[in-house]
Amino acid sequence: MKTRKNLVFWCSLLGLTLVLTLFSDVLATHPVNEMDLDAVYAPPGEGHLLGTDHLGRDVFSRLLQGGKVTLTVAGLSVALSFAIGVIYGGISGYVGGWTDSVMMRILEALISIPSLIFVLAFQAIMQGGMWGMTVIIGMTGWFTTARIVRSEFIRLKDAEYVKMAKMFGTPAWKIITGHLLRNSMAPLFVVTIYNLAGAVFIEVSLSFLGIGIPPSVPSWGNMLYNAQNDILIGAWWIGLFPGMLIFLTILSINFIGEAMKDSGRGRFHA
Amino acid sequence: MLEVKELTIVVNGATVVNRSSFFIPNGKITAMIGESGSGKSMTVAALLKILPAGANTSGEIRYKSANLLEATKEEVTAIRKNEFFTIFQDAMNSFNPSIKMDRQLYAFSAGRIGEDHTTYRKKMKDILGKLGLSADILDRYPFELSGGMLQRCMIACALYVKPALLIADEPTSALDKVVQKEFLKWLRLLNENGTTVLLITHDLDVVTGLADEMIVMQKGEIVETGTVSEIFSRPTHDYTKRLLDSRF
Repeated sequence: MKTRKNLVFWCSLLGLTLVLTLFSDVLATHPVNEMDLDAVYAPPGEGHLLGTDHLGRDVFSRLLQGGKVTLTVAGLSVALSFAIGVIYGGISGYVGGWTDSVMMRILEALISIPSLIFVLAFQAIMQGGMWGMTVIIGMTGWFTTARIVRSEFIRLKDAEYVKMAKMFGTPAWKIITGHLLRNSMAPLFVVTIYNLAGAVFIEVSLSFLGIGIPPSVPSWGNMLYNAQNDILIGAWWIGLFPGMLIFLTILSINFIGEAMKDSGRGRFHA
Repeated sequence: MLEVKELTIVVNGATVVNRSSFFIPNGKITAMIGESGSGKSMTVAALLKILPAGANTSGEIRYKSANLLEATKEEVTAIRKNEFFTIFQDAMNSFNPSIKMDRQLYAFSAGRIGEDHTTYRKKMKDILGKLGLSADILDRYPFELSGGMLQRCMIACALYVKPALLIADEPTSALDKVVQKEFLKWLRLLNENGTTVLLITHDLDVVTGLADEMIVMQKGEIVETGTVSEIFSRPTHDYTKRLLDSRF
């Protein structure tokens, strides 16, 4: 019961953030790149709900638009890593034998290299903007998904209902989608939720370091990057609000993952 | 009905079934009995051609005019789909836990013989009723049903398709005595409807009063075959004698 209440609370919080960012075009009070040079470093108050930055841009509007960019990059990159992980882990687990051994050794080698090195290498090659970042995070975030899919497929492929499906000549793709993948969804969903939190964190981190989303596009990471010097002159609002949203978003996603993990435990017993 | 000649199964260098020969007569219930690890389940896997990777076979499994060991994948699939029906040990594991019973029972019964869903619903409800199951189980998930109910669902599918040969691999080992007795009753009903039954078990009590013929396996070899009454009254092999003695 407590798990369910937690789930509802964190889902509501994340849902509110999603709605606010999704409808940023409607909810924004100012154009995101509009500069009001008469109101540079204006503190939160009338006219600018959450104040303005060093160029007089409205923090509230940029926060909503930045959230849209950050969450879009995170969401799409997780979808990409999910697809790659399912295909890679699925082939490895379903085919088995030496194919599995070779694929798993490659995966272990990839996992042993810190993902930041991959991300920096890809970023150097692609020098990507928003879409480039999506591809980079997606291409480097599928390792755990692949391992989960592989282990679930190995566990499930010896289940008697899978044997029966094979006996009746059911095509492999139907067995994979209808039996193996379908019954792997509970752990996969949990790992994907955690990957989403990780993707938000990577986007924010890279943008904060100045190697992520280009400065012209507002994102939560970019806003933090720009706020570094502003904090020193007392403009706390420029960094505080994106920081709070990043914190709450990652926290919500992680707690949703935890709650899903608890509620899913014991329900599926294939 | 089905004749096995000199069947040998080697898995990763270990001989698990050694030159086994036996015959399953048409219209009878044949029980294959032996302790765990005697090669019963491997023999069944060979009959169904679902042996694990790394298994090598020799000999013959003759069903009608085909040698199943040499038949193509398509031929074996057609036989498994149209002539055989298999009930495994753990009914809970025989159904996909995330798909409702309706879809799964359809796939195991009417779907195999190409009947439409409306006809299936009507016929399946009748069969389930005969087996003492309410029709609303069709709208439930497998994990909402007990092991006994799920085994009865399997019997319902077998009654629906009326297979030529039913292979039941330790079907009662996960059931309590009362449900076990019920299950064996339905197995007898299936047999009376013309289905030949091969029952794999390590429980002699299951064989008594149900099976007509008996095959005794020990360490991968057939040590005795005959009618149940013959073997029970005059066992010839030491292992069979020990098995019979262990009942009392």
